[in-house]
Amino acid sequence: MILPEPLEILIEELNKLPSIGRKTAQRLALHLLKSQKEDISNLVNSLISMRDNIKICSKCFNVSVDDECEICKSPKRDNSVICVVEEVSDVIAIEKTNEFNGLYHVLGGVLSPLSGKDAASLKIDELVKRVSNSNIKEIILALNPDTEGESTALYLAKILKRFNIKITRIARGLPIGGDIEFADEATIGRAVLGRIILE
Amino acid sequence: MTLNNLLISNFRLHKNTELNFSDELNYFIGGNGQGKTTILEAIYYLCTTKNLNQNSDTEAVSFGEKEFSLFGKFNELIEYKTRIQFDIESNKKNFFINEKQVTRSASIIGKFPVVSLTPLDHAITQGSPADRRKFVDSIISQLSPAYLEILLEYNKILRQRSALLFQIRERKEKSLIDQLEAWTEILLNNGTEIVKHRMIFAEEFNKIIRENYLKISDQNEIPSLEYNFLNSVSDDDIKKNFNDKLDEYYDDEIIRAQNLVGPHRDEFIFYLNQKELKKYGSQGQHKTFQIALRFSQFFYMFQVIGKKPIFLMDDIFGDLDKNRVKKIGEYLKIVGQAFITLTDLNNNNNIFKSSNDKIIFVNNGHVHYA
Repeated sequence: MILPEPLEILIEELNKLPSIGRKTAQRLALHLLKSQKEDISNLVNSLISMRDNIKICSKCFNVSVDDECEICKSPKRDNSVICVVEEVSDVIAIEKTNEFNGLYHVLGGVLSPLSGKDAASLKIDELVKRVSNSNIKEIILALNPDTEGESTALYLAKILKRFNIKITRIARGLPIGGDIEFADEATIGRAVLGRIILE
Repeated sequence: MTLNNLLISNFRLHKNTELNFSDELNYFIGGNGQGKTTILEAIYYLCTTKNLNQNSDTEAVSFGEKEFSLFGKFNELIEYKTRIQFDIESNKKNFFINEKQVTRSASIIGKFPVVSLTPLDHAITQGSPADRRKFVDSIISQLSPAYLEILLEYNKILRQRSALLFQIRERKEKSLIDQLEAWTEILLNNGTEIVKHRMIFAEEFNKIIRENYLKISDQNEIPSLEYNFLNSVSDDDIKKNFNDKLDEYYDDEIIRAQNLVGPHRDEFIFYLNQKELKKYGSQGQHKTFQIALRFSQFFYMFQVIGKKPIFLMDDIFGDLDKNRVKKIGEYLKIVGQAFITLTDLNNNNNIFKSSNDKIIFVNNGHVHYA
């Protein structure tokens, strides 16, 4: 069936978004069709306002309203520790834990020669500059435990070595509240290798 | 473990075929192109979720149909009802055990062990080193999910690293060279794990193949399998030798933009009386060796997982002399459940049938029992 053009356009636009398939896009579009005009303009305005008002932090490349983000500006944060992550979504995930009180650095991806991601296309130079200009004591590498994340971590460790600071990587192992018997072999293997001494 | 019942629908020539099997030997008799091998293919799918001859899933769907489905009942301690469905349009394969969907194919590894002996096996002894690595890898990964994961990871590292080598050949930047060092370290760690697994395998397999070859061949020939990774003897050796070799080939790797060192270039060499089979073996010796390898795989898997795999044999008696056929026929009695295709019965009356065996005639996708 051929849909009216304005509806078809909206479906196609929604379909461009990640994890939205054609069917979901269609459902969302038909739902919006039934919504109040006011709700629609609120949604549209929020989209435009987000695009106009959100910037990327000039220090850590997290999302921000100002030139520097709330985390970088906060006097309560420990500015001698930087946690290096792949994406903004990782900052959100780590912030939710309330366990980390340092600063972040968002790389914007990981090294992947196959997809043309090299050191120059990531915020690596910026990280090196940050480390050399300020009084950093520790860099925590919080990258995904896959091949690309691993190689990026090794590469960063290598180029940051000359600053004589502590370079750590987040631990890998079993999820809290999970059963060992249900974890996959690779995770259990890693957890055994990364065991710690009980005092 | 045995497969007792199989239902095939819209799978190549078989529109709707139901089969009941013997716990021992099952023979499928029929002319060429009647659908004998298809039944072995269906069994292999249910055991591994994969295609026996590495064809695409789409090709297995009957002409003009949209999906195939296979349904099998395995018996071990309890009955396992397994079902596999493939749909062309969504290109999705769904696998169920006792009506529960299985999403990770690694979770069925070792559950329904299977060994197949097909005419394509000639490549194992006569083909390229890649064919031999495939043979070895398929055995170890059927037994160790960890090995399978390391192998997949390793292949990904190779692709990334060769892309990087290519970039370095174009422009020799310091940052790219540093990145190479990171990828080399991962290659080294991962590759070492592969070599360790392969070494353990080669040692065990060597013992088993010696016993099995003698049971099939009437000559007093001694077979062996040699696996050697840069003359390494101990685990520590492997990593050190691997590293040294990578250093040695550093410039070459960049010039050719290729991964030149590592287990992806391993060779497994077969010997018969200390002579290299590939160079000096006769056609008959090759064939006997291939059969001995599959029997050895059977007993190796039996030894590791403690249950007898299902044995699939596709048209293997064609080029063998009467004596060997007779020996293999006797040997088959101890393997457990086997599925064997033959073009006709008369030429193979050397294969002894016990009263428990089943003979099934296959004719253009239809079956009837003898």
